[in-house]
Amino acid sequence: MLVVGPSGSGKSTLALAIGGMIPREIPAAMGGLLSLDGREIRGLDPTAVAARVGMVWQDPDSQLVMERVEDDVAFGLENRGWPRDAMLARVPEALDEMGLAGLQRQRSRRLSGGEQQRLAAAGALAPRPDILVLDEPTANLDPGGAADFMDRLAALRDERSTTIVLIEHLVEAAWPMADLILALDGDGRPIDVGTPAEVARRSAGLLRDAGIWLPLAVERRIAGHEPRAPRARAPIAGAARESATGRPVITAANLRFGFDRGEAVIRDVHLRIDAGERVALVGPNGSGKTTLARLLIGLLRPDTGTVRLLGDDPARLSPAALAERAQYVFQDPERQFLAQTVEEEILLGLPVAVRPSARTLMVRLGLPLDRFGRRSPYRLSGGEQRRLSLACALVREPAVLVLDEPTFGQDRHGYEALLEILHERLDAGATLIAATHDRRFVADATERAIKLDDGWIVSDEAVS
Amino acid sequence: MIAARTELDDVRLKGPLGRVSPVVKLAIAVMWLAGMALTLRILPPLFLAGAAIAAGIVLGRIPTRTFARTLAPLWIAAIGIGVSNTLFAASNGDPAATELVQLGPIRITVEAAAGGIALACRVIAIASVGAVFTLTTDSTRLADSLVQQARVSPRFAYGALAAYQAIPRFGEDLATLRQARRVRGLRGGWHPGLLLGVLVLALRHADRMALAMDARAFGSGPRTFYRPTHWSSLDLVVGIAAIAVLVVALAFGR
Repeated sequence: MLVVGPSGSGKSTLALAIGGMIPREIPAAMGGLLSLDGREIRGLDPTAVAARVGMVWQDPDSQLVMERVEDDVAFGLENRGWPRDAMLARVPEALDEMGLAGLQRQRSRRLSGGEQQRLAAAGALAPRPDILVLDEPTANLDPGGAADFMDRLAALRDERSTTIVLIEHLVEAAWPMADLILALDGDGRPIDVGTPAEVARRSAGLLRDAGIWLPLAVERRIAGHEPRAPRARAPIAGAARESATGRPVITAANLRFGFDRGEAVIRDVHLRIDAGERVALVGPNGSGKTTLARLLIGLLRPDTGTVRLLGDDPARLSPAALAERAQYVFQDPERQFLAQTVEEEILLGLPVAVRPSARTLMVRLGLPLDRFGRRSPYRLSGGEQRRLSLACALVREPAVLVLDEPTFGQDRHGYEALLEILHERLDAGATLIAATHDRRFVADATERAIKLDDGWIVSDEAVS
Repeated sequence: MIAARTELDDVRLKGPLGRVSPVVKLAIAVMWLAGMALTLRILPPLFLAGAAIAAGIVLGRIPTRTFARTLAPLWIAAIGIGVSNTLFAASNGDPAATELVQLGPIRITVEAAAGGIALACRVIAIASVGAVFTLTTDSTRLADSLVQQARVSPRFAYGALAAYQAIPRFGEDLATLRQARRVRGLRGGWHPGLLLGVLVLALRHADRMALAMDARAFGSGPRTFYRPTHWSSLDLVVGIAAIAVLVVALAFGR
């Protein structure tokens, strides 16, 4: 079963409830009936649920317990008291099912994000659960890693030995795999349940209006049926605007950077970005996109080489001067929050004169302060957190806007709101640098793609 | 850094000291440190430090370069502690104490110097024993051995193992939060909010980790072990040898 719904519709909450963690481990008011083999999950011992249900979450870092790959797979088996011989047989088997054969002795922290996520799945699958619940398992992966993961999941589905409950935004891969789709609206109410074909026929329009991404084929069909719904979103790159002025905003020469002795993350980068350009930094996980983005606006200091942001070394600018020239939106919004409430967060460090525009911006991003202001940033849904972190950057109207995976976890409404507001800033002459895996975003919002691999720039070309 | 860690890894498992039960090594370290508290002399801690280093090189097969890189900063810190304690010792101001040297306004007495040197030797011994333990002990084996041989609660041992692995993450979180403050135009340095932020993130990480562990039936009943640990004759030999070394060291203290 595939679960789809806009940001904040309670998909993750549903996953936790199926896993027996709500209401037992996470206190919550829960009504209705949720049963496993005809027995209500709430009444079951959590152990009994854990024995039947395997869970995989987004962040591989917080679900890998042990140091080495094989120990991690064995962890769930040890906890269930499997005899050692059975474990020795099952661990390589589970790794093999997830395409990780041969990596047993590796340290899990040294695997790529995609491998880590498949390892998490192998650990969940090892005890042969009846149900496997996956909550956006590909969200942190690059396109290659995500495709590998979905391939493994498809193979698992074809075996038909495990019921799979999948929450996934990669609709092109996920829809064809589903026997059943559950669509939730923004308040967590079901819009429709049925086979992908039924859901597409009965409620495609409703899903789209709720902000749910649809496979391209379905999207085209409803667009054809409803001539009144033109593509609202004009690609930014095509919009009329002052083109790149030929005045450099950022130049970098002989840039090298490594976090530790030895391992270089950025190797000898030369780069010039002109005012008004829209640049995408692309490349696989670990290729140095994020590091380069941070070097370019002085959040990191290069080991060798120079960076100039509007003529100055950005690492030497005062924070206030830097904040005026450049803004950075971090990949994981949770890890950039500095305040206890949404209102404090958006107003933090903000000049008083700009405060009214912060309020308007928050309304436009669907986070009006009268409703969200007092909430903790950590209590927002992933999509809402992303919009808040964007708002903190956009409200300062910087000359250079650097975004790290800006569309991560965004539903359709969030994506469109983001594009619209970006569009405005860019038309006003701002320069955009976005590190991203999202091909749709590269096409919609950028005009130049710089591809990195292992710290080198391997290509630098116009976006077609 | 990462490459060095794997290189160490092989050593940790191959050398005889790497095969000794981590619980035995831990017991030896505690025993030695407790033994050192029995004497104020200089020789016993130096002898124990020497024994630990010799054991680390010969039995632990710790590559000399790695070893030197680990020990150097610890030793420098130890000497620093000794020097500052000598300079600021109360006995420097005691007119009854014997003067060793007068450096401008600073008077250093024999008593102060002796105290400083003794302290530095102690810190050197603690650092050396600790470094040998860390460099010859794999953390997974330590957790397994604590649970199986020392009957430590699995929740504590594996929880600590998971937390230990999260340490680099906290460093990254702190760096990211400081950058986040900088782009908001807030001054750098150490703001109390940063600490709170890292704490919040650490707690959330721990929460998620606990959830993931429970989802994998952790603590649901009697566990079995993928890597069983057994006592070996090597454990006994090393244990007895360590007691002998301590006795000799304390004999120097007489």
